[in-house]
Amino acid sequence: MTEVSQRPRTAESAAAVVTEFFDRYRAHDIDGMTDLCSINADFSYVPVEIWGKQRVLRGDGKVCTVGKPLWTGLVTSFPNLSNTVQSITSNDDGDVVAQVDIEGTQQLAWGLIAPAGRHYREPHLFIFHVGADLLIDSIAAYWNDAGISQQLGHIEVD
Amino acid sequence: MTSPVLTRTPTQTVQAFLDAFARHDIDAAVALADPQVTVTVHPLGVREHGAGELRKILADLVRGFPDLMITVSRVITTGDVVTALFKAEGTQAAGYAGAINQEKHLDIDQAWRFVTRGGLITEVTAYWCQAQLYRRLAVKRYDEIAIA
Repeated sequence: MTEVSQRPRTAESAAAVVTEFFDRYRAHDIDGMTDLCSINADFSYVPVEIWGKQRVLRGDGKVCTVGKPLWTGLVTSFPNLSNTVQSITSNDDGDVVAQVDIEGTQQLAWGLIAPAGRHYREPHLFIFHVGADLLIDSIAAYWNDAGISQQLGHIEVD
Repeated sequence: MTSPVLTRTPTQTVQAFLDAFARHDIDAAVALADPQVTVTVHPLGVREHGAGELRKILADLVRGFPDLMITVSRVITTGDVVTALFKAEGTQAAGYAGAINQEKHLDIDQAWRFVTRGGLITEVTAYWCQAQLYRRLAVKRYDEIAIA
């Protein structure tokens, strides 16, 4: 259930929401992560794209329908998935930018990558917007997926 | 009299950089960076210091994609940090990042995070997905990037 705060939104309180988000991600509390987001929060994992013969599936949509399944799949395939927040900057409009290293050891298939027990650690840039109700209403992330594939031993681009 | 450099806001500094980059004016873009700017380009494995490194990153892109078009969708200012989200598009005309020229079209969404001080850029960190880039340039394997 979405948590609504009575605190005013400031740069500091918006950053605190995002800090809590990554704390919950580190604890694999996917429901808790979702609780920090508004019911219709936008989601975009820019590097996620799967090219089929007739269409391309992208990591764009809503937190509840695209983000949550992706996070659940990640912690399933990488049971020790963790994150290290390198920096968080924010403003009073609710924009929060976070540099975060994500890492984990693969135990199950992830996309086209067969499990080989290898570990990856890759820098990510997350762009959040936190609404006046101190709920995240937008998440976007950028990273180099080729770096993850290569660290996991997958040398084919597709 | 106050130097115009010192009176530039972080947003103005980065916007001027993006404008210069978009018109392929590498000299003007690099002039907005501190001589000891920290340059990190994760997809290229670059972690260096110096305006010369920044010049190389920008020049390689323009040389590889002479019709490079930069379309900025958002500029987010959080204190001295400015994050620019943009799409880079172009047609390959020379080797880039190990990929031979097959005249493929590139379109890559990117995020560049800038730190500014005193009207100059002191840190640049670029994020994009090299898998998307190689996919568009028809590279099949990471261990055979130069083989079509």
